[in-house]
Amino acid sequence: MNHISLTINKKMYSIDVEEDVRLIDLLRDQLFLTGTKEGCGEGECGACTVIMDGRVVNSCLVMAFQAEGSNITTIEGMSDKDELHPIQKAFLDKGAVQCGFCTPGMVLSAKSLLDKNENPTREEIREGISGNLCRCTGYNKIVDAIELASKEIREEKKE
Amino acid sequence: MKPLNIVGSRVIRVDGKAKVKGEAIYPQDIYLDGMLYGKTIRSTKVHAMIEVDTKKAETVEGVVKILTYKDVTGENHHGVVFKDHEVFCSKKVRRIGDPIAFVIANSERVAKKAAEMIEIKYKELPAVFNPIDAMKEDSIKIHGDSNIIYHYKCRKGNVNEGFEKSHVIVEREYKTSMVEHAFLQPEAGVSYIDEEGKICVCASTQYPHFDQIEVAEALGLKLENVKIMNPAVGGAFGGREDITLQIHLALATMVTKKPVKVVYTREESFHAHSKRHPIIMKYKTGADKNGKLLSMEVNLIGDTGSYASWAINVMRKAGIHATGPYEIPNVKIDSYAVYTNNPFCGAMRGFGATQTPIGSEQQMDIIANELGIDPIQIRLINGFKVGSETSNGQVLSESVPLKRCIEEVKNRMFKE
Ligand code: FES
Ligand code: FES
Repeated sequence: MNHISLTINKKMYSIDVEEDVRLIDLLRDQLFLTGTKEGCGEGECGACTVIMDGRVVNSCLVMAFQAEGSNITTIEGMSDKDELHPIQKAFLDKGAVQCGFCTPGMVLSAKSLLDKNENPTREEIREGISGNLCRCTGYNKIVDAIELASKEIREEKKE
Repeated sequence: MKPLNIVGSRVIRVDGKAKVKGEAIYPQDIYLDGMLYGKTIRSTKVHAMIEVDTKKAETVEGVVKILTYKDVTGENHHGVVFKDHEVFCSKKVRRIGDPIAFVIANSERVAKKAAEMIEIKYKELPAVFNPIDAMKEDSIKIHGDSNIIYHYKCRKGNVNEGFEKSHVIVEREYKTSMVEHAFLQPEAGVSYIDEEGKICVCASTQYPHFDQIEVAEALGLKLENVKIMNPAVGGAFGGREDITLQIHLALATMVTKKPVKVVYTREESFHAHSKRHPIIMKYKTGADKNGKLLSMEVNLIGDTGSYASWAINVMRKAGIHATGPYEIPNVKIDSYAVYTNNPFCGAMRGFGATQTPIGSEQQMDIIANELGIDPIQIRLINGFKVGSETSNGQVLSESVPLKRCIEEVKNRMFKE
């Protein structure tokens, strides 16, 4: 058993975790942050994407004890209760959501991309979501959504 | 007519907001108090007689119960058309991945550990993997006394006369491969007993109403005592049309009187659900000098693997669509569905209509090439239009914008 302290969605946690517990298990089974999804458990699909200290990681490949001291954003930390982040809004406006199982991971990968590069090309957007699989949409609408979100965010800043 | 509110306007899907916020509930996101966990034990052999010994596994601390075919209280079967699946294999396994037992334990960890301790003695049987071999009289049989479970015949005009009149005849064989749906959300489910004493199963499914019948029949319960709930579904594409974990969960809850959860890994998901039928297609197509199709003979052999699932419907549809969207006066189509020891095949995006264009469209290109006609032109010459009759005799009376579509694509693709 390990005792770890970390920040998740701006909230401090101090919690006991077993050695073999992955970050995704900690988030889902212990903290019930079930917006983080498991599609493969081996780093292929990106459904479990979270942002850890400013970088996207597959939470199925990070052991919980490795998250000691880190700062994590999950999909639950993207927006307040009834609000939508411009990326989330753009996903809805562009029809980029179908079954939705890839969506939390996609949204977080998009956020991490736009945090670093606020005006990416479509090519750079594709690169930015290359770690996330979607079986439903065919990706084009997701790229459209991220393009739209980047525009909205830039305009918001100007105002 | 009143103006329509939804059709023709842009609306946000009802479940959209919950999905972008990570609030949509898929079955794996459900946690109930006092919940037990299940783990399925599956066959590792393609074809074998089995003997199962659960004694050692039962002694693992935290194991509540291990279910096998002996615990099935109703009919030990399910299947969308034929009841050829067993809930748990009783004597024989017919493919890798056939379910044999289900451990119920107080944690996922214990369930997995106990699952590894179940002893299965396999007496291996000869197996057949090639559907052409499986069709032969003397082939080993997967179920019953023939592996051929379906033969669709379509006859129109007289193909021999059509070929005699043809200027060019093209004969080729095509094969498609088995395809996995790989929907992003692996199967998961939770079962419990509600206040009215009904057995409830939450699982992502394409057929809650079918599942209800299958669960009730396998448990020996009245239909109204079984409830199936369909939370968010993480993709399906046909792969959630057959029963996977629904009966196992319902039975586990009925026996233990406790909520039970099971979540498949990606690998188990591959084993648990159907695949797209691979089809061996023999095509013979004849056309006149101008590229007008005159005759077509097609033989389709669909490998449905170890269980029928929707094979009949899939291979019928493959047969009906075998000509492609083209007018042909003389047609002879034979389409078969055949059992083998391969993974079982069922519905997947297009339901048989996806495979045949691999054959029919390549035939069109080859004929065009042999006649020196543009491949787009040959499609415009033969394409369905209003008034066309399909191979199975349907007269298309409205809305056949195929030629418009081809021309639109052509204009955009070859625009200077
Ligand atoms: S679940 Fe982590 S990458 Fe697929
Ligand atoms: S919306 Fe279904 S996997 Fe992306």
